Amino acid sequence: MSELDRRDFLKIVGLSAGAAATVGCEPADKLVPYVIQPEEITPGIAVHYASTCQECPVGCGIHVRTREGRPIKFEGNPEHPINKGFLCTRGQGGLARAYHPDRITEPGSRGGDGVVQPVSWEDATAKVAAKIGSAADKTWILGGPVGPSLTGLMDQFVSSAGLAGRLTYENFSKHALIEASEQVFGVSAEPLFDLSKSDLIVDFAADFLDSTVELEGQFAEARDLNKHTDGGARLIAITPRQNLTASNADHWVPAAAGSEGVLALALAKAVAQRKGVSLPAVSGANIASAISEAGISKGKFDEMVEKLVAANHAVALPPGVASSTASAAGASAAVLLLNVVLGAVGDLITYPAEDAKKTATLADVMGLIEQMNAGNVECLLIHDLNPVYSLPASAGFVEALEKVDLIVNFAALIDETTEVSGLLMPDHASVEAWGDMSPRPGVRSIIQPTLRPLHDSRALGDSILAIGRQLGGSAPSSLPEGTWKSVVESNWSDTDWRPALARGGEFEATPIRSVSVQSSAGNVRPTAAKLAGSGDFVLVPYPHSYLGDGGGAALPWMQEIPDPVTKISWNSWAEISFAKAEELGVVFGDVIQVETAAGSVELSVFPRGGIRDDVIAIPIGQGHTVGHYASHAGDAAYEGQSASETLQRGVNMAELLPAATDEAGGQAYMSTRATVSKTGRYRRLALSQWTDNQRKREIAPEVSLYELAQGGGMAHFAAAASAEGDDHGDGGDHDEGGGGHHFEGPPFEFDASYDADPDQPYRWGMTVDNDKCTGCGACIAACYIENNIPIVGEEMAIKHREMTWLRIERYVGDGETDFGLGGDGTDRRPTPDREELGKNEVRHLPMMCQHCGAAPCEAVCPVIATYHSDEGLNGMVYNRCVGTRYCGNNCNYKVRRFNYFDYGNKNWPGLLGLMLNPDVTVRGQGVMEKCTMCVQRIEEARQTPKDEGRPINDADLQAACQQTCASQAMTFGNLREEESLVVQTAKAGKNRAYHPLQILNTRSAVTYLAQVRRDENGGH
Amino acid sequence: MAPPPASAVADSMTAPAAPRDSQTNIDIMAVTKGFHWPWLIGLIIAVTGVGVAAGTLVYQTYVGLGIAGYQAPVFWGVYIITFVFWIGIGHAGTLISAILFLFRAKWRNAINRGAEAMTVFAVLTAALFPLIHIGRLWKFYFLLPYPNQRYLWVNFKSPLLWDVFAVNTYLTISLLFFLVGLIPDIAIARDRAVGWKKAVYTVLAGGWQGTGKQWKAHNRTVLHLSGIATPLVLSVHSIVSWDFAMSIVPGWHATIFAPYFVAGAIFGGFAMVINVMIPVRRIFKLERYITDYHFENMSRFILFTSLICGYAYGAEYFIAWYSGVEFEQTSFWLRAFGPYWFSTWCMIIFNVVMPQFLWIKKLRTNLPFLFVLCFFINLGMWFERYVIIITSLSREYIPAAWGLYIPSTTELIVLTGSFCWFSMFFLLFLKMFPIIAIAEVKELEIHDKEHH
Repeated sequence: MSELDRRDFLKIVGLSAGAAATVGCEPADKLVPYVIQPEEITPGIAVHYASTCQECPVGCGIHVRTREGRPIKFEGNPEHPINKGFLCTRGQGGLARAYHPDRITEPGSRGGDGVVQPVSWEDATAKVAAKIGSAADKTWILGGPVGPSLTGLMDQFVSSAGLAGRLTYENFSKHALIEASEQVFGVSAEPLFDLSKSDLIVDFAADFLDSTVELEGQFAEARDLNKHTDGGARLIAITPRQNLTASNADHWVPAAAGSEGVLALALAKAVAQRKGVSLPAVSGANIASAISEAGISKGKFDEMVEKLVAANHAVALPPGVASSTASAAGASAAVLLLNVVLGAVGDLITYPAEDAKKTATLADVMGLIEQMNAGNVECLLIHDLNPVYSLPASAGFVEALEKVDLIVNFAALIDETTEVSGLLMPDHASVEAWGDMSPRPGVRSIIQPTLRPLHDSRALGDSILAIGRQLGGSAPSSLPEGTWKSVVESNWSDTDWRPALARGGEFEATPIRSVSVQSSAGNVRPTAAKLAGSGDFVLVPYPHSYLGDGGGAALPWMQEIPDPVTKISWNSWAEISFAKAEELGVVFGDVIQVETAAGSVELSVFPRGGIRDDVIAIPIGQGHTVGHYASHAGDAAYEGQSASETLQRGVNMAELLPAATDEAGGQAYMSTRATVSKTGRYRRLALSQWTDNQRKREIAPEVSLYELAQGGGMAHFAAAASAEGDDHGDGGDHDEGGGGHHFEGPPFEFDASYDADPDQPYRWGMTVDNDKCTGCGACIAACYIENNIPIVGEEMAIKHREMTWLRIERYVGDGETDFGLGGDGTDRRPTPDREELGKNEVRHLPMMCQHCGAAPCEAVCPVIATYHSDEGLNGMVYNRCVGTRYCGNNCNYKVRRFNYFDYGNKNWPGLLGLMLNPDVTVRGQGVMEKCTMCVQRIEEARQTPKDEGRPINDADLQAACQQTCASQAMTFGNLREEESLVVQTAKAGKNRAYHPLQILNTRSAVTYLAQVRRDENGGH
Repeated sequence: MAPPPASAVADSMTAPAAPRDSQTNIDIMAVTKGFHWPWLIGLIIAVTGVGVAAGTLVYQTYVGLGIAGYQAPVFWGVYIITFVFWIGIGHAGTLISAILFLFRAKWRNAINRGAEAMTVFAVLTAALFPLIHIGRLWKFYFLLPYPNQRYLWVNFKSPLLWDVFAVNTYLTISLLFFLVGLIPDIAIARDRAVGWKKAVYTVLAGGWQGTGKQWKAHNRTVLHLSGIATPLVLSVHSIVSWDFAMSIVPGWHATIFAPYFVAGAIFGGFAMVINVMIPVRRIFKLERYITDYHFENMSRFILFTSLICGYAYGAEYFIAWYSGVEFEQTSFWLRAFGPYWFSTWCMIIFNVVMPQFLWIKKLRTNLPFLFVLCFFINLGMWFERYVIIITSLSREYIPAAWGLYIPSTTELIVLTGSFCWFSMFFLLFLKMFPIIAIAEVKELEIHDKEHH
């Protein structure tokens, strides 16, 4: 490792929150004290640096929390205009990349025998330079999206070296939307949405709640019950399968897959007629045929039209990956026209003044593949992309690569593409290198290093500069001077560098241009998806919530945290309807074969109610054959295996999808039909929750807006209870079949004098608003990373041995106390089974330790390993625990976890242990653990207020889960402080406040606010 | 139930002429002498089983409890089931030696030594299981209230701690009872032994000479110990039952648990006495001392306690229904018709239905039948604890967090090992001490003679 002088490092590391920092990190297992203590760093005090998330092209700002020179957590940057302090699940998971066991630790060259031998940087650089020198016009660069500085540098490199070309390719591109904007408004840009002021959102299979925290936050704002007594924005989700957005929708319209565009244009026409808007572009739509193509009822269509007409600020969201058909641009254009009719354009939808940067389409990449096959490519430089995994197998990229003489790969982590690359020149991890991103005009965001490089890697920019300087001719002189870092800095010369660094970048309002409908919009004629192949099913591939296009598969938490809709982790599954499952004779976990013209895969089936009969939906993102977490390579059960077919985790959709494109050349994911057959085999999936039937136990109840308006809500339970007088337990609830577990007494009276030492100023507690919770799971990632929660792997997850301290339960409706035989999975294969097509009754309930005032776990521990603190926390002394597990049995909320093996110490291979939070004990084998309400954060927050002689207030302290929640569904704080957010939130929602299982009188410190049913008919 | 004289019992054997004192000594001590193939084979199997289980346990302690079958939310499994099972087995011994002694039920004399030994060994087996069960075996001493510098103390509110005291008390009293009762017989063994054995027996006999004064003191001690042991018959299993009843788990939280467990323990304990005594009697030819009369009396106990168990099962279901509490209703419904229906129906058929055959007198003295029946009763009692623990835990308050538990191979090895461990002790005991209380049998015979 190069020895970087500490003083030099100090000079280049920026400031954040007024603190500068340094790096004292050594990967070796030595403890090296500071010889000269850096002035700015205090061991034990975390320092935050502003940077930018690089997990996806959205470009959220992050704060990298470091301790003694090691990044230990990513949190959202509150000043960043896109994510406003919040961060999604995958963004937080990006932390693991730097310490990942899959890191390529040094440059290497693949010999004739296929084994990679280490080479020096000089040799590697010289090899590439020599190749480019001899065949510059046969050299291509193929890469993923990168920031403006790197783009600029590479463009300079391409032109000065005279390369054949460079392709920037995104697996989930926006070409269709940009093409649609061009067609409708004549602007080649991606529109910006502002949902926060909307009162009706129509989601055309965009699944926006599963996309960015920005939209999620806007959605929460638009529906905030404290601001909108009418319940705020309503959400109509049009999607053939109940995705996360449809799970949060007021109305779910299960239109046929691929009919979104036709339906949008028909809606536009109908609404235009009713509103008296004259828009010739939509007048050609055929409403009757659209309704039949969408497979919905006339009544449903009219209902949507009614709602759209009645709304003042309605907005429609164009299709996402799951509905990217061959006519995706047409569909997007139709949705844009609907927005024009709704009056959203210019108001809720705006266009930046700058055009979108051109990126390569799948068609362009196919062109490159042709060139490769024709022998016109001798050298291919690949960066930030894993085309071997993600390009449709039928495109023939892998075969074409064999014709390429030298494949240079700059990936930091091994993947399917590095396995076939001849020369590896590993890039730094995201927290080790400089860089920048410009997610949208006006927003420029800096990426700054917060960790001294752990391995012998080199920033991509530096690699490019080094290669360029070895080239002959004028190439060296036309490249910028200095290092990659100075290149970045010079690109920021127009700004005040240090404040920008501290802030995380330059954040200005995006300059907007006004747009109007062009005559070309008249050509918008979306057609229902033309599907290739035959078969009973339409194949709907959709991005996995956490794995995205597959890039997230390497991150341990993304595998371990269950999918927010199906609650499955660690593998692929295929969703089909119950009716079809019965027809095929399969139940949950049975392996089916899915076949298209492009290929076939075998995977376990997940029958559900929330999907159309004609659809089979499979998530994109699994199916890796390389990687410790991405494939089975790191699983104990697969030790000694090396065959890629054996190691493949789940299925790779690239093997099943044809290389189809839409009008704009982007990949059309939803483009084929599939044949499904039973294999007779069974492969158990790790399903993290047993059932979605809450058996009328009111664990996640619901109140209607009407009840709230009447001053009712949860209070009616109290009234019912008191009306029965002393005759509890034999209440009238019987006729509901639910038993007599009603709430006793007022459901919500803050009397915080209980449950903690009366002399203490604090009683810690939370308020969780189920109405705001979308179930996205970002809080779970925050909890995992903050609290050093180990991941357990698929084999253990199947046995429900996951260690998560926080889970989100997903119930459908009030449930039923079904006493049928076998109704709860006597076949040992539980399937959540209460979803119904076109009806959304999903309730999300984040469940963590309730820190009960009268905790059942505390009384039964024989050694007082779990006890009640004087500030009301239910403490856990790991060192005292002998592991009788009685507490786990007696916890009615089932939030306690037992460390069966030494997960905490053994499940962080390689350097991953370096990312653990030093403030939190790594729990050993044989002890119980659970949510502590981030007691380490409470302790961290204690000092400053003490010095200032004031009590701890909300500004001092946030729980990890609360900090990252874009919907702000969680609040944490002092229940004894009347003005604290946690009390105020609960009071504001007191008509829907409740404690799950209140009948047990555990005096939970977590108050839940029931979900609100905004429209009485509820999409029924 | 006035006991008829032992010699008056009608059985296939002709009533033997009253043996001479020395003949009784010779007959019973013969068990410890000589060579018996079944004994040796049994011992080899038992020691091997203990060895395998011990190895498994060491491995489990090293790698973690994950190799057991636990699946959240079922945090207790075969180990706790087996703990309760063995504690229950011990109860028949204490009942026979303490309560029947106090009630002067003379027929107990022929079986009490064997039953007492069984009690001691069963408790020794049971006491291992809480340790096998805990996550950090090496910290087991945290469960004991010992003074320490850190002022760490145990939680007297926890039923598990009550368990620690209950089991330790039980072990102490059972052991004392057993050893005190053995003294006169050890003296007989001492008088017949030679070599190093004589030295051992001499020490254990504690200078017993059989004087009137010694007999008086001995009888008083046994009487007092019976008085102390009597409440234990009720208290130990009551406390074990409170491990469950004191919790809030639906299916556990029930007031019936203490009497229900005690009855079940006596039921299972007698079944185990029969299962052990039938082969012992056969192999060591003790038919003259352990007669059909004894088996018939024990059968009556089994029939009686089976009825109590049946009542308890019924009462649980009735209360679950009558309470109107959905949690309880669901838990009990799924016990019978959910994924664990098999264990529940095994429990009901083996423990309640099958013992009803004992209403027929002929079957009460039909030893092959009794042996098979008692085997099923033991199985049924193990399943009873399986039902209580596993079905309740797998179906608690939060339906999303329900789960299933399937015992792993590890647990089954340790379960088998526990039977080997128990058998090993019992087999060694057979060869070291008289299996029948010689002095008490003689006392009874003298008593009978005088009444003739």
